Amino acid sequence: MSDTGISSSSFAARGPSLRALAESALLIATIYLIMGAIYVSVQPSALSAYSIESLFNNSLPLMLAAAGATFVILQGGFDLSVAGVISLVNVVVAVTPLEGPLGALGLLAIALLIGMGVGAVNGLIVAGLKIQAIAATLATMIVCQGAALLVLGAPGGYVSDFMAYELTGSVLGVPLALWIALAGVALWSVYRRTDAGRNLLAVGQDRKAAALSGIDVARTEFFSFVWAGAYYALAAYMLAAQTSTGSPNAGEPFLLLTFAAVALGGTAFGGGRGSVTASLFGAATLMLMQKVMFALGVSSFYTGVIQGLIMILAVLFAAGVQLAIRSGKRP
Amino acid sequence: MGLRRTAWRRKWGVSLAALLGTALLAGGMQPAEAKTKDGKWRIYLSLSYSGNSWQSEAANIVKALAKTPPFDKTVELTEVISGTDPQAQISDYESMIANGADGIVSFPISSTALNRTVHRGCQQGTLFFMYDATVTEPCAYNISYITSGFGENSAQALVNALGGKGKIFLSRGVPGNSVDERHTSGAMHVFKQYPGIEIAAEYYSYWDDRTTQQETAKALAAHPDVDGIWAQAGEFGAIQALMQANPDRLVPVTGENSNGFRLALANPDYQAKGLAGVSAGSPPAQSGFAFKLMMEILEGKREPLAEGERNIQYPLPWVPADKVQLCKGDTFEDGCNTFPEGKVPSSFVTEVFNPELLPELSLASALDGKPTADATIQPLPADAVEKAPDAPGINCRQCEAPEDIYSLTKVEPTVKP
Amino acid sequence: MTQSSETMDGPATTPQDTRRAQRLSSTSVAVIAIYGLVVAMILLSRAVSPAFGGLSQVETIFYLAAFLVFCAFGQGLVILVRGLDLSIASLITLGGVLSTALMAGSNDGLFYILPAILLACALIGVVSGIGVTFFAIPPFIMTMAVGIIVYSLCLGFTQGTPRGFPSPLLRDLMQARLLAIPAPIWLLLAFVAVGTVLQGYSAFGRKLNAVGNNPEAAYVAGLSARTLTISAYAVSAACAGLTGILLAAYANGATLRMGDDYLLPSIAAVVVGGSSILGGRGSFLGTVGGALLLTTLATILSALGIGQGWKTILEGLVILVALIVLREQVFDALQAGLRGLKKG
Repeated sequence: MSDTGISSSSFAARGPSLRALAESALLIATIYLIMGAIYVSVQPSALSAYSIESLFNNSLPLMLAAAGATFVILQGGFDLSVAGVISLVNVVVAVTPLEGPLGALGLLAIALLIGMGVGAVNGLIVAGLKIQAIAATLATMIVCQGAALLVLGAPGGYVSDFMAYELTGSVLGVPLALWIALAGVALWSVYRRTDAGRNLLAVGQDRKAAALSGIDVARTEFFSFVWAGAYYALAAYMLAAQTSTGSPNAGEPFLLLTFAAVALGGTAFGGGRGSVTASLFGAATLMLMQKVMFALGVSSFYTGVIQGLIMILAVLFAAGVQLAIRSGKRP
Repeated sequence: MGLRRTAWRRKWGVSLAALLGTALLAGGMQPAEAKTKDGKWRIYLSLSYSGNSWQSEAANIVKALAKTPPFDKTVELTEVISGTDPQAQISDYESMIANGADGIVSFPISSTALNRTVHRGCQQGTLFFMYDATVTEPCAYNISYITSGFGENSAQALVNALGGKGKIFLSRGVPGNSVDERHTSGAMHVFKQYPGIEIAAEYYSYWDDRTTQQETAKALAAHPDVDGIWAQAGEFGAIQALMQANPDRLVPVTGENSNGFRLALANPDYQAKGLAGVSAGSPPAQSGFAFKLMMEILEGKREPLAEGERNIQYPLPWVPADKVQLCKGDTFEDGCNTFPEGKVPSSFVTEVFNPELLPELSLASALDGKPTADATIQPLPADAVEKAPDAPGINCRQCEAPEDIYSLTKVEPTVKP
Repeated sequence: MTQSSETMDGPATTPQDTRRAQRLSSTSVAVIAIYGLVVAMILLSRAVSPAFGGLSQVETIFYLAAFLVFCAFGQGLVILVRGLDLSIASLITLGGVLSTALMAGSNDGLFYILPAILLACALIGVVSGIGVTFFAIPPFIMTMAVGIIVYSLCLGFTQGTPRGFPSPLLRDLMQARLLAIPAPIWLLLAFVAVGTVLQGYSAFGRKLNAVGNNPEAAYVAGLSARTLTISAYAVSAACAGLTGILLAAYANGATLRMGDDYLLPSIAAVVVGGSSILGGRGSFLGTVGGALLLTTLATILSALGIGQGWKTILEGLVILVALIVLREQVFDALQAGLRGLKKG
C-alpha cells in the first residue's frame, strides 16, 4: 500500500495539491464523464429526459450507501452492516402503509431512526468495546438480515404512490435523485470544514497523534457509524421508492458494490484520505458501467472480464495522474 | 383504509385492463413491424444470473430455438446476463427498451422490483415473457410451473412413502424468496394434516447441490435417525449426504429434476437401502415454451391475451421411482426421461424437453445451445396455453389465491391423517 | 493504514520486547479461549438435540470446517500483510471447474493435473499481488476485480454448465476413513500442522509478520516486502484452488457459485481467530479456532426448531458475544487482576 508512510505533521496542515486532489473527487468525476461520453456516443437515446431520470434513480441507492460507508472508512474503520441495514429499512418501509407526502416524511423518520440506531450500536461496540470494526459489523449485519426476514418473509409489501412516483420524478426539470446526490455533495463540503469533519480525517490519518492533539477519538468513531447508518437508511428508503416494494434480501447486492464504489472514488481503506463526493461518483460510475457494457454489446459471458479490467484501469488512471502531478512538483 | 384503497385500485385496474384488452383485440391480429434494419425481430434473452445447470440449460434452449429455421432468418437474439442485483436487471431492461426491443424473454430476479420498468416497456410496445420466476406486473406474461403444486404433491408423496409418520427434514430454497415460500407453504399444508410427521430440521440450501449436501450433513449430525427428506432443487446433495453419513441406510427423498437424483431413484441398490421418492419441480423447458409463445404472438399467429389473463401454467413434471426410464439417444424418445450416468453431469436438470411443445430440441440444444439438425420450428398446439391460478405476490398484486390452492393433482393420499 | 502502537516506536528496544512478549501470551490465551468456547458450545448443544455432544457431531464439524480452514489460511496470510483477498470465491470455483473438466471422471494424470491447477491459481494470485504492490491498487479493488474476471472466465469456459466429474481417487478420498476417522480430517490436521509452522515458526512467516507490522522497515532490513506480499496472495489463491478441488470431489461435481459461501466466513474466521484486520498480528491456530467456532455454531443453529429470521439473529448475536469475550483486553485485564492478587 502506498499510504503507509506517515508524516506526523500531515493531518494538521491541509496538505498540498495531492491531498486536495484526492479529496476533490476530480479524478473520479473525470472518469465518470469519459464513461458517460462513451455511453452517449454509442447510445444517443441516453440523453433523453427519461433515460437520464432512470439512470439517476437507478444509481442513487448505491451512491447513498457508498457515501455512508465513506464516513466510517475515512476514520479508518470498516462497516459491513450496510447490507443488513438496507434490507431491514427496506422491508420496514414496505410494510408500513403511510400515504401521501406526510406519510413519506414519517417513513423517512422511521428509516433514519433505524439506520442511525444500528449505526449507534455499531459505534458503541467498535468505539466502546474496542472490537475490530469488520468483525463487529459483520455480526450486526447478520442480526439485521435476520430481523428483515422476521419483518417480511418474502418480497412484497406496499409503497405509497406518492413515494413510488413523486420521489422518483423530477423537480424543476432535474431528477429528484440528482438533487439528493447534490445535497449529499453540499453536505459533505460543509461537514469536512467543521471540527467534526476535520477530526474524522485526522483520526483516520493517525489515531495516536489525533488523541494527543485532544481529539476525542472514540466519539469521532461513534458518530461516523451513526452518519453511515443514516445514509444507508436513506439508500434503502429510495430503493423502496424506486422498486415500489420491499425485499428481505434487498441489501445483499450492496455489500461488495458499496466498497468497490468507495475504493473507485479513491478513498483510502485504512482512513485519512478521501471524500464522500468521490464515493458518490464512484458509485455512479459503477452503475454507468452497467449501461456502457450493454451499449458496447460485450458477449454476455465475458462482461465480467471487461468490468474487472475497467475497475483496475480506473484506479490506475487515478494513480497515474497523481503520480504525474507528484513528479511534476518535485525538482 | 388499506382495504378501501385496494378495492378502489382493483375497480380501476379491472376497467383499465378491459379497455386495454379490447384495444389489443382490435389491433391484435395485425402483426407488429419487425424492428431491426434487416427486418428481424429484436429479441433479448435477459438472465439474472448464470452459473448453475438450470439457468444455462434454460438459456441454451432459447438460443437453440433462435437458431432453428425459420427463426435463424427472422430473429436477432441478444443474451444479457445481469447478475443477482435487481438494480442491474432494471438497468438492462431499460437499455433493451431504449434499443427498441420487440420482445424480452427473461428470468426475472425479483417478482416485484422490476414491475415499474416492465410496465413502461409494455407501454413502449415491448412484449415481456418471464419464465419460471415471475413478476406481479399484469402486462407481463408469466410462464411458470410455480402454481402447479410442486410443494403439496411432493409432500404428499413423501407422507405416503413414510406411512404417515416419521422425522423429516425440509431442505428449502433461498430465504426471503416468494417461490420458496409458495413451495414450502404447500408442503406444510400437507404435513400439518399428519400429527405423526415431525419436522426435525428445516434449512436453506439455495437450490444448490453442494449447499444441500453440507446443510443436510449438519442436520444429520443432530438427527441421524431421520426418516425422510423433502427437498427443493439440490436434492442430489441430500442423497450424497445420506450416503456419507451411513452408506447402508437411505430414506425416502422427494426433490426436483436433477439427472443424478433420477438415476439414484432408479438404482436397485439404493432402493434396497430404503431410497424411494419422486422427482418433480422446475423444468428448464419453460424458457423454450415462453419464447415460442412470444414469437407466435409477435408474428400475429396467436392473439395476445388480455392483461390479467397472462399467467400461464407450465405442467408439473412428475416422475416417481418406477417411472424413471433411461434415454438411449439425445432426446426424450419413447417416454424416456433420464440420461445414463456419465452422459451429463449429475446436476444436469433433466426436464429440458417436451415432445408436444418443443419437438425441436435435442441434448446438444440444452448443453450447448445448438439447433437440432433438420429441425424446424413447429407451431404450438392450439390448446397449449393453460391459465395459472392467482398466487398473490408471485403472479399478481392485490389478488387472492383460490380456496383449493393446495388441492392435490399428481398423487392421492394413501394414508389417512 | 493506521499504525499499531508498537510499530511507531522505531527500532527494537528492550521495553518493546517485553511488551511484545506480554502481547504474545495474551494472544495465545485468546487462542486457547476460542477452543474452550468451541468445546463449551459442543457440550451445551446436547440441550438442542440428544444426538449432539458426541463424537459424530465433532466429526461433522471437523469435516465441514476443513474447507473453510483451507481457504482461510490463505486469507489469513493476505490479511497479515495488510491486504484482503476477495478473489477467493472465484478461485474456489476455478479450482472446482478446472478439476472436474480436466479430470473428466478419470484418474489419468491426476498427479500432474492437480499441481498444474494449483499453479494456475497461484499465478492469478501473483497477478493480484503485483497489482497491489507495484501498482499500488487497493487490495479490495484489485482482488475484487480479479475475482470478477476469473468468475467471468469460468462462465465463458464452461458456457454456464460445468462439465465433467472429479477424479474417482479424490472422490474416494473424501469418503474414505483411516483409523475410523474420515480421511479429510487427517488432511485437515496435516494442513493445520504445516500451516502453523509456515505462518508462525518459519522464516517465511516471520518475514510476513514483519511486512505486516511495518512494510517500510521490512524493506529497509533487506527483505523484499513486495515479493513477500505477492507470495501471500499466491498462497491464498492456491489454497482457494485446493478448496475448490476438494469441494468438487466432495459434492461430486462443480458449480459456478460454489465459492460464494466461503468469502465472508473466511474473513470472519481469521478475525474471530484474533488476527488484526490491519495486519501484522495473527496466528493460524486462532484462524482454525475461528473456523471451528463458526461451523459449530452453524451446525447447532441448523438443529434448532426456530424460524430462519430468529436463527439468523441468533447467529449474529453469538458471533458478537464471542468477539466480546475473546477480546485481548479481557485477558490483559484478567492477567493484571491475577498479578494484583498474587502481590496482594
